[in-house]
Amino acid sequence: MLVAQIIAVVIFVVMFVLVVMEKIEKQYVTLGCGLLTLVLVFGIAMRDMNAVVETLNFKSIINPGFWIGEAPESAGIDWATIIFLGGMMVMVEGMAKAGFFRWLCMLLAKAVNYKPIPLFLAFMVMAAVLSMFIDSITVILFLAAVTIELAKLLGFNPVPMILSEIFCANLGGSATMCGDPPNIIIGSKLHYAFVDFLTNTGLIAGIALVVMVFYFYAIYHKELSQVSKTVDINSMPKPTEAIKSKSGFIISSLIFACAVVMLITHSSTHLSVAFIGTTVAVLTCIFNIKDIKEIMSKVDYKILLFFVGLFVVVGGLEQTGILEAIAGFIEKVSGGNIYVMVAIIIWVSAIASAFVDNIPFAATMVPIIQGLSAGNPALQATLAWTLSMGTDIGGAATPIGASANVVGTAIAGKNGYPISWGKYCKSAAPATFIVILMSMVIIYLRYC
Amino acid sequence: MEKQVFITVGREFGSAGHIIGEKLSERLGIHFYDRKIMDELGKQIHLDDEEIKKYDEKPKKGFFSRTVNGYSNSIEDILFDMQCQFIRDKADSGESFVLVGRCGEMVLGDRENHISIFILGDKEEKINRVMEVYSLPRDSAYEKMRRHDKSRKAYHNSRCEGKWGDSRTYDLCVNSSKLGIDRTVDMLETYVKRRLGLLG
Repeated sequence: MLVAQIIAVVIFVVMFVLVVMEKIEKQYVTLGCGLLTLVLVFGIAMRDMNAVVETLNFKSIINPGFWIGEAPESAGIDWATIIFLGGMMVMVEGMAKAGFFRWLCMLLAKAVNYKPIPLFLAFMVMAAVLSMFIDSITVILFLAAVTIELAKLLGFNPVPMILSEIFCANLGGSATMCGDPPNIIIGSKLHYAFVDFLTNTGLIAGIALVVMVFYFYAIYHKELSQVSKTVDINSMPKPTEAIKSKSGFIISSLIFACAVVMLITHSSTHLSVAFIGTTVAVLTCIFNIKDIKEIMSKVDYKILLFFVGLFVVVGGLEQTGILEAIAGFIEKVSGGNIYVMVAIIIWVSAIASAFVDNIPFAATMVPIIQGLSAGNPALQATLAWTLSMGTDIGGAATPIGASANVVGTAIAGKNGYPISWGKYCKSAAPATFIVILMSMVIIYLRYC
Repeated sequence: MEKQVFITVGREFGSAGHIIGEKLSERLGIHFYDRKIMDELGKQIHLDDEEIKKYDEKPKKGFFSRTVNGYSNSIEDILFDMQCQFIRDKADSGESFVLVGRCGEMVLGDRENHISIFILGDKEEKINRVMEVYSLPRDSAYEKMRRHDKSRKAYHNSRCEGKWGDSRTYDLCVNSSKLGIDRTVDMLETYVKRRLGLLG
C-alpha cells in the first residue's frame, strides 16, 4: 500500500503544480493524471479492479436514486456535480443568447436613474443574488461589461464598482449549493440540499453582504461621486433593446425560474441536482432547437472534463487512505477540539483558495471532513459549512483566487482600466479577512 | 515609399538597435514606432507613464497570472494584446514603418513585405555604449545590460515561437559593432531596397 500511496501523492502534487503553471490546458492535466492514477495506483500498485470501478463510479448513474429519491453513497467521480454543472451551463447560454443578463443590468440601472452611487449599491446586491443561482463567471462577464459601458456614458471610474461586484459575486456564490463549484461538490458528496446551504452558509453570506455593502461604500463613495458628465437619462440604452428575441427571452426566463424553484424545493421533492441540471438543459435545447449548435458550442466542456480527471486523482488519494491520514493528522493537531478544527479548516482553505484553484482543494477536503466527523452528522455539517465559506470567500482575496476575479479584471483591462494586484488586494484582501473572521465567529456561536 | 513595408527590429541592449531602426526609418521616409506606441495607448488606458514602463516588454508573472476561458488578469498580457492590435491596425491602414521590439516579427510575420532584423553587438562595445548613454560606471552598465537582455529574452520567448536572438527567427542578424551605426544603416537600407526590388 505504501507504494500506491506514494504514487497517488506524487500524481496529485504534479497535477496541482501543472494546473497552477497553466503550461498545459488543465483538463488535459487532470485527465492525464487521472489515467495515471487508474493504471499506476489502482492497476499496478494495488492490483484492485474494485477501486477502479468505485472511482469511475458509473454504476451510480444507473441507480434510480441518482436522479430521484435517496442518492446512493458513492466515491470517486461525482457525476451528479458534472451533470448539474453542464446542465446549468446550457441554461445560462440560452439566457445569455436571449439577452437576459444585459436586460437585467440595464433595467436595474434605469430603476436607480443611472446615478453612480445607487447603481454601485444595486449592482453589488445583484452580483450577489445572481451568483446564488448562476456561475459567477457569467454574472461578472455581463455585469463588468455593462458597468464599463455605463461608466463611459456617465463619466465615472468603473474600477471600484467592478471590484465590489467581483467580491459580492464570490460572496453570493457561497450562499447556495449551486453558487460555486466547491459547494456543489460539498453538497453532492455529503448529501446536503439547496435549503441546507441557504439556511447555513446563506445566512452567513447574507450578514456578510450587509457588512460588505457598507465596507465598499465607505472606501469608494468619494471616488464614485466624482462624475465628469451630465447625462440626459433619455439618451441611455433602453433595457428592452437588450432583448434579442422576445419569445426566447420569456422561455429562458421561465426555464431559469423553473431551475430556481426545483433547486429550492429539491429537499422535499427529492429531485437530485443531476435531474435538475438535465431537465433545464433539455428544456433549453428543445426551445432553442434552431440554435442548439451555437448554444452547445459555448458550453465549457473543458471544465467538465477537468472535473472528471480531478475526481479520479482525488479518488486515488481516497482509496489509498491518504485523505484518512490527513484527517487523522488534523484531528491530532486540533486534539479533537472543534474550535481548533474549524479555525484550521477555514483559514487554511481561505489562504489556499486565494492563490490556487479552490475546486481541487474542496474536492480533496470533502473526504477529509468525512473522516474527521467520523459519522457525527452535526460535526460533519459544521465542518462542511466551514469548508464552504473558507474556499468560496478565500478565493475573493486576490485577482487569481477565483475565475470571476480573473474575468472581471481582464474585462476592465481590455477596456482601458487595468487592475494591478496592489489595486485589487487593497480592497479585496481586507474584505476577505473580515468575512472569514465573521464566518468563523458565526460558526463558533451557532454550531460549537 | 511606393511599396508598403514593415521592418521589425529586435536588438540586444547596448547594440544601438533602437537608433539604427530610427535612422533606417528616416532614410526610407517611413514611420518609426518604439515605446511611443505605449504613449499612444496610454491615452486609451488609465495608467501613468511609470506604470506603463513597469509592464512594457515584460513577460507575465507566472504565479501571479491566471487565464480563464481566454481572459487573463495579467496587465502584461492585456498591454501586449493592445499593442498587437495597434500594430496590426497601423499595418492595415496602409502605413509603412519600422518597429523596434514588441515581438514585431511575430505580430507581422504573416504580412507581405515584412523584413525582420536582429541587431547584436560585441560585449565590450555594448558596455561602452551603455556607460556613455546612461553615464554609468562599467559594473553598473554591465549589470543593466545583462538585466535588460534577460528581461527582453524572457518577454520575447514567452510570446513567440522563434527564440530571441536566434538567427532562424529573423531574416537578417547584424553585429553593429563591426560597421558602426551609420554604415550598418547603409547596409540595411541597401538590403531593404533590394528586398523590395527598388535596386537593380
